[in-house]
Amino acid sequence: MRKPIILSACIALGVLGNTPAYALDLGEALKDVAKQQIEKELGGEKPAEPTPTPAPAPATTQTPSPSPAPAANAEAAPAAQPEKPAINWKKPSREEEIAIGREVTGSILGAAPLVKDDALQQYVNKVGRWVASQSERPDLPWKFGVIDSADINAFAAPGGYVLITKGLYVNLQNEAQLAGVLGHEIAHVVKKHQLKVMQKQQLLSAGTDWIKEKFGKKNKLAEKAIGTGAEISARSLDKDAEFEADRMGMILAARAGYEVYGLSEVLQTMGQIKPGDDSVTLLFKTHPHPDERLAKLGDAAGSQLDNLKPGKTLENRFYKTR
Amino acid sequence: MNIRLLLGAIALTASLHALAEPGTALKADSLRAEPFADAKTTGTLNKGDSVDIVNKKGAWLQVKKGSSSGWVRLLSVKRGSGSSSSSGKGIVDVATGRAGTGKVVSTTGIRGLSADELKAAKFNEDEMKKMEGYAVSSSDAQSFASAGGLSASSIKYLKGTP
Repeated sequence: MRKPIILSACIALGVLGNTPAYALDLGEALKDVAKQQIEKELGGEKPAEPTPTPAPAPATTQTPSPSPAPAANAEAAPAAQPEKPAINWKKPSREEEIAIGREVTGSILGAAPLVKDDALQQYVNKVGRWVASQSERPDLPWKFGVIDSADINAFAAPGGYVLITKGLYVNLQNEAQLAGVLGHEIAHVVKKHQLKVMQKQQLLSAGTDWIKEKFGKKNKLAEKAIGTGAEISARSLDKDAEFEADRMGMILAARAGYEVYGLSEVLQTMGQIKPGDDSVTLLFKTHPHPDERLAKLGDAAGSQLDNLKPGKTLENRFYKTR
Repeated sequence: MNIRLLLGAIALTASLHALAEPGTALKADSLRAEPFADAKTTGTLNKGDSVDIVNKKGAWLQVKKGSSSGWVRLLSVKRGSGSSSSSGKGIVDVATGRAGTGKVVSTTGIRGLSADELKAAKFNEDEMKKMEGYAVSSSDAQSFASAGGLSASSIKYLKGTP
């Protein structure tokens, strides 16, 4: 489980632990070591190399202290967790992934509740589920919602949770555009973009907590850790993750039978909003500019979409919310 | 006065008014005589060039740049001038049959959602339960798709570019 990281931390300590002058940089040193380790563990798309870890033997020589796991969880999620079982952050199961997504989504809903319009919510669920059915993870318990916020944004959380704001919804003109936007978020879930960021943060903070316990140093890194709350949604992913989600979202909508350019039309609309406009503060902070996203889509598409069968836009069926 | 007639007159005026919509080239690309990749080249666009969008057909936009004109791929041009002022309803809307849109709509009376609000947000079990109640099965989604005449097909994902 967390053994390799603990091990790395021990090595770092072995080198630095005796020299108090370095103690202040301990967090940074650990961060680097742990980061490398975590990158190695989580970096690949495929499951990690099949080498079984012969962890216990060397660990006993240096780790008489308790495992950092409980401390990490207590730190990262102060109040919410007492009755919930700890999550295996290194390799969360499908159920754990869904449980994490539920926490994140429920917290976003705490900031902005669902729009009180049953027909709207049902409509968005039907479109979203149909698009998700074209993905590599059709069997997740996909759930979609429109939240009551004037911001223009959309959020995905691990395990199949997707929210879009009313501010974005009212700027859509047809079902193909909705499918494109939902496709982008579905792609984030399929590629586990948010989950990977949360895993890295959790594993890092587990390591720093162990150091903190050992040396009683205050460490800023741990405070920056993401819990399983909505904070992940306020953060940026890699630009590449966003471009990937654009490319996939566009194609997922096309696979579902929609006009392929729905998502790019929405990006066109977003590109015309002044960056100073309040409704896009968070969106523009966490995503590359729509112009850049459009250009990237254009580069990736080249001539490959020229012979696509024309898809449907279904503006007549598009649900107009009040 | 007959309201339908009036609306018709307004729509006509609007579409005549919106013969061209400003656009900006997002990257260098060729202008072509027809909306096909192998059509004759009639000119080139450089990144940042201002154009007038005069027509849309499938994946292509017909644009004018100075004295030259031609068809360019839709994803190579952004709507609006470089200054990103909102341009209102233009030819693209007209060509795609969109009604009364093109400008960014803003919702009034409801709050935005800031990073700080997200960080401070507390889990809401009631809303979560509601959301779970709206979920649909994949077979329901399939029926919904069929009702709209949508059928699934296999299309490869696009590869990323460096």
